[in-house]
Amino acid sequence: MECGSSPPAFTKRELYAPSISGSSVAALHRPNKMFLRLVTDSFTRRPRRKIISMAALAMGMGVATAALSVSLDVGDRLAREFRSLGANLLVTPQADSLPLEIGGVDYRPANAGAYLPEADLGKLKTIFWRFNIMAFSPILEVPVQASKASLGPPPEKITLVGTWNHHSVPIPDGTSYITGIDQTNPWWTVAGKWFTEGSDECVVGVSLAKKLGLAPGDTLDVSSQDSSAARLLKIVGILSTGGPEDNGVVSSLPVAQQLAGQPGMYRRLYVSALTKPEDAFARKDPKSMTPAEYDTWYCTPYISSIALQISEELKGTDVRVIRRVAEGEGNVLSRVRLLLWLVTGAALLAAALAVGASAAASVIERRTEIGLMKALGANSAVVGVLLAAEQLLLALVGGSIGFGVGIILSRVLGQRIFGFAPEPRLFVLLIVLGLAAFITLLGSAYPLRQASRYDPAPILRGE
Amino acid sequence: MAPSPMFWRIIRRLITANYGRLFVVLLALGAGAAVTSALLNLQIDAKKRLTTEFRALGANVIVAPRTGNTESGDGATIDEALFAQLPAQYEGKPIPAVGFLYVIGQVAKVGQIHFEPAVLAGTEGHGLTQIRPGRRTDYRSDLENAPDACEVGVKAAAQFKVAAGDSLQLRNQGREASCRVFAVVTTGGAEDTQIFTNLQTAQQLANLPGRLSLIQLSVNATPDSVNSFISSLAQQLPSADVHGIKQFAEAEGRIYTRISGLLSSTVLLVLFLTSLCVMAGMSNVAVERKNDVGLMKAIGGSVRKVVRLFLAEAILLGFAGGLIGSALGILVSIWLGKAVFGVAAQPRLIVYPISVALTVFVSIAAAFPLRRLASVRPASVFRGEE
Repeated sequence: MECGSSPPAFTKRELYAPSISGSSVAALHRPNKMFLRLVTDSFTRRPRRKIISMAALAMGMGVATAALSVSLDVGDRLAREFRSLGANLLVTPQADSLPLEIGGVDYRPANAGAYLPEADLGKLKTIFWRFNIMAFSPILEVPVQASKASLGPPPEKITLVGTWNHHSVPIPDGTSYITGIDQTNPWWTVAGKWFTEGSDECVVGVSLAKKLGLAPGDTLDVSSQDSSAARLLKIVGILSTGGPEDNGVVSSLPVAQQLAGQPGMYRRLYVSALTKPEDAFARKDPKSMTPAEYDTWYCTPYISSIALQISEELKGTDVRVIRRVAEGEGNVLSRVRLLLWLVTGAALLAAALAVGASAAASVIERRTEIGLMKALGANSAVVGVLLAAEQLLLALVGGSIGFGVGIILSRVLGQRIFGFAPEPRLFVLLIVLGLAAFITLLGSAYPLRQASRYDPAPILRGE
Repeated sequence: MAPSPMFWRIIRRLITANYGRLFVVLLALGAGAAVTSALLNLQIDAKKRLTTEFRALGANVIVAPRTGNTESGDGATIDEALFAQLPAQYEGKPIPAVGFLYVIGQVAKVGQIHFEPAVLAGTEGHGLTQIRPGRRTDYRSDLENAPDACEVGVKAAAQFKVAAGDSLQLRNQGREASCRVFAVVTTGGAEDTQIFTNLQTAQQLANLPGRLSLIQLSVNATPDSVNSFISSLAQQLPSADVHGIKQFAEAEGRIYTRISGLLSSTVLLVLFLTSLCVMAGMSNVAVERKNDVGLMKAIGGSVRKVVRLFLAEAILLGFAGGLIGSALGILVSIWLGKAVFGVAAQPRLIVYPISVALTVFVSIAAAFPLRRLASVRPASVFRGEE
């Protein structure tokens, strides 16, 4: 501070401000004890004003923290939410005869068409994007005749669906994974309970239950079309799907395999995978890509690259993307993500304005003080540094409080809107503190510049 | 008592006393109003746009025969006349609707003698691509409008070794027809194995003139609104079973709740921040005006009058900030709508008065620090005490 060592200029101005001792003003020019004292005094002597600015800062930064934390975590959450649309990949045998499927019922004879081995399914969790495979369930449909046991004929011709419920799949690396139909088809609801694997239990569709007068606890007599195999199944729940299964019976896979005479086999596999919405790049034909592009494509969780990886693991299969689900999800998800960032931007903007405005206001109100300091010989730079130091201190303290408030806010919001609580991140704290410092300085810059032009005399006269 | 000219004169002076502060307060109010109105407008718009995006999921309403094995080609059918009774629009938007008749027939490429069974779906109506979302891998638009045009699922196309431009022979119980493939389509569902012909061909092959297996509709509305559409249609068509597709309705509902919750809570937070911002400005005003208030009280102004003066100032500021900011916000939301959804958001007039009212409210609430002026004592002001 060069100006501190020029006493002549100082003594001349001392006349205008006799009430302030020379030593304290001289101290203004050096960042020593007095500088700190001025800064701390302005906090402790007039706490009310500082508290208001601090509150504005803390609230602004709290909102910024909450918006950032929620939108950083919510992308994944939303993608998971979209999995409630159901499976987005369908695996069928490659060398299959053409299925005669109308409204979910296959009209082929039971012995027609190809099957796939159930034992291979653990391999699904060995592909590159194995953690993106959220759930999968094999389906084996058998046309059967069913009647309420203890009651006579006539038996009803229906479809029995064999699948997994809470099934533990052994994975080649020695672990196991639990998955099943309630995860791939989350809109299937059961009044009562789901069947247990490895038992003679089943759930019946709501329309069939009404037609045959079935209720949980009853026993259903099921036999294959040619009567070569028969089972007595205990009804444990009533299934409602809004689809063709409402007219059928759903039981565990081994039951269906026995009735179809196809032990260890399934016919269709539904896979629910977390994917990245397709962009222009993903729509390119992988065959026309350069090797580098192909690597990028293969290592991005696009639905098409996951489909390819599955067909590489499960030999002899044809993996198709269920377009309506994949595209509906992709469209909405990419829009919502953009919307989310816009909303975050709006919240950040509002926070920045609140903080900037309160910083500006706090400088404007100190015109008199600034005038006095200048009258005592402090130049604009010193006044600026003093005020900036105060504002920065305010920003750090307010920003930290705001971060704490924001974490609580983001937990409340995350829990209420999305049903999860985002974790606090150091990264967000750094951004928030940086933002707080930047905005308070920016907010004070203009009034400070104005203040540096003030003529001390009228201010001191109170005009 | 009507405010005197003096009242307004004082207000004018109060507002123009300090341009810097006026700017800060107006900026805060205006920005708050802008963000509020932009988000409110976007919230209404987002819901409508998202319902449109969700239509990528395909049909959401099905009209099926009331009894028997629903949606089965061999089972019950409905009268084709029902198709003509469907409303063409709902909430001002057209409803794509397609009637299907399924029949299992024998199919072979022209020139081949080996026939194989396949599902033929006769279709009638408009918007098949919206009802049955998929991708056409092979497409010849010049053949699409031919009377014997048909579209083949990707698995069926592989089975019969056909591409766009080839012809298929169709047979069922001695009845015969043929069609020319104009596209190969993949949906990832049962449609991949089907052959889509026009309705007359399927009706003739099935010997079911004037019948349909089912009708699928894609209603562009929110899940609640779709439900009321379903119940009114069910009343209108008592002979058929009208139901929604549960798979997508539930997920849609859940996603809406999330997004509108997010937008509303952001609006609330922004309003809160705006009021903090204005409050910071107003608390300075309170300090600065101590002298004025002391003088007013000394010459006989009642506390009520003084408070009314400042309230009028707050309302005026809120109104000005709200009017300018909300208008800007609506303009911004039009642009944001274009950025997010590719379609400019429609400005909704209801948003404007709401966000102006919210801004005025915020500005009155933020004038809270002025309350301290009521306790100002003229005597101590004149003595120059702090």
